[in-house]
Amino acid sequence: MRDLFFYDALCAAGPVMTGGNAAATPGALLAEMDRYGIDKALVRHANLPNVSAELSNRLLAEWLGGDRSGRLRGVWCLLPEQCDELPGPDQLFQRMAAANIGALTLAPFAHRWIPCRLTIGRIMDAAAERHIPVLLDDFTGRWREIYAFVQEFPDNILLVLDRSKHGPDRLLRPLLEAYANVYYVISGHWVPEGIRDLAERYGAERLLYGSDHPRFNQGNMMLPLKHSGLPLESIRKIAGETLESLLQGGRL
Amino acid sequence: MSLWETHPLARRFWEEGRADMPICDMHGHMGSLNTIYFARAEAGRMVAHMKRIGVRRLVFSHHHALFEPSFRNERAWAICREYPEILRMYVAINPHYPEHVREDLARFDAWRPFAVGLKFLPDYHQVPLSDRRYEYALRFAGERKLPVLCHTWGGSACNGFPQLSETVQRHPDVVFFAAHALFGDWDGAERLVRESPGNVYLELTALPGERGILERLTASVGSERLLFGTDLPWFDEYQAVGGVLAADITEQDMRNIFHANAERILGRDW
Repeated sequence: MRDLFFYDALCAAGPVMTGGNAAATPGALLAEMDRYGIDKALVRHANLPNVSAELSNRLLAEWLGGDRSGRLRGVWCLLPEQCDELPGPDQLFQRMAAANIGALTLAPFAHRWIPCRLTIGRIMDAAAERHIPVLLDDFTGRWREIYAFVQEFPDNILLVLDRSKHGPDRLLRPLLEAYANVYYVISGHWVPEGIRDLAERYGAERLLYGSDHPRFNQGNMMLPLKHSGLPLESIRKIAGETLESLLQGGRL
Repeated sequence: MSLWETHPLARRFWEEGRADMPICDMHGHMGSLNTIYFARAEAGRMVAHMKRIGVRRLVFSHHHALFEPSFRNERAWAICREYPEILRMYVAINPHYPEHVREDLARFDAWRPFAVGLKFLPDYHQVPLSDRRYEYALRFAGERKLPVLCHTWGGSACNGFPQLSETVQRHPDVVFFAAHALFGDWDGAERLVRESPGNVYLELTALPGERGILERLTASVGSERLLFGTDLPWFDEYQAVGGVLAADITEQDMRNIFHANAERILGRDW
């Protein structure tokens, strides 16, 4: 789509323990992106919940190593600092830069730890200082935990989402209202004209296009964004400009 | 180039927001609900939303008629009369209120052409579809060959595959619209159609966008057995239409889903 630049904020790839159809190679994902007109994608490892963060980070780096397009960037997973499973912030960020990783995530519920300042305060503060986005995909549906996390880390750039298909406005809007660093990935926001409602109330720059590939196809949320009724300038922000800007602002 | 530039139908929707094709949304609701905020749950705003993309018909059951016994189907009929160019209704059947069922079905013919079928919600009413309390309504629908839009979900004890399978066999004259196509139990959805006496259609609310599912059902049961729906005011028409357009199926499959199947069942002018 030459009239819009799309940057997919929510995409997973790589083989999964339980099977499934995530893209096995960068080429496979890029072919799907081309089918729908997606320019770039932020990719985390699809098997992340089932394996250690150390392993999934390494596998994702290897997977991204097969990409020559420059259209894919990765998301690495955090762990509590006290067990020394990951290096400290400076070294971690250096490795991220070398591996084409642009954002962080965490899977505390799958990886069995408590997401709070006590466990990851140091790395989260470093991520806030360097403007590195943190994707809260493992928190999906756990709104109490999202609230607690956002309250504890208000200076971090936090990307939240919903997968329930049950319009989350009552749960989401208080966060958008109170926390300027919370961004919402619209992959599951199937609410009629809900993209426009949120953008008009909280600003288009708070919303990010994301597909939640491979659960959803990447074309799924493109048409409702294109015909959201928002001005083209706002649509451009949501489609990809804001995420591109956030990732460019990260200082690894 | 992307499908939005190369696929004729997708291109029209992408560029113009609509196409020269009617859309029959076979699964809608209306009105507020306890667990969710709806900004567009009243008829006027819903109709405005649908007209943007070219919905020709929405068949809905009012949330309040399903969830609040004092709200009767006649009020939904009155709403249809305000928007005759687009709204049609399913008469909501609550098996806990058999006297309401009999009273409302006695008025069904008077509510035509707006009333086109019945709506069952077994999971929420907590009465399995195989329960005898649905029999009166099922016989009524069978005598008139009416569609019954029945909520279904994979693994449900009230409206999963076993209940649907038994009921569609027992009522071959009822046209069953399996809402959500037994979501998640795709094997069951396929069996339901294949083993039925030809009286089952899979209604697609919540499916468009799920990667690969429309392709699978189209290949297994045929697009002639699929119906478009959105649960409006739950889901955006552009999301659901976009989900169908984004599937790797033919344009004829899409047209079957969007309108041709509904027209074959209910006529071209209903």
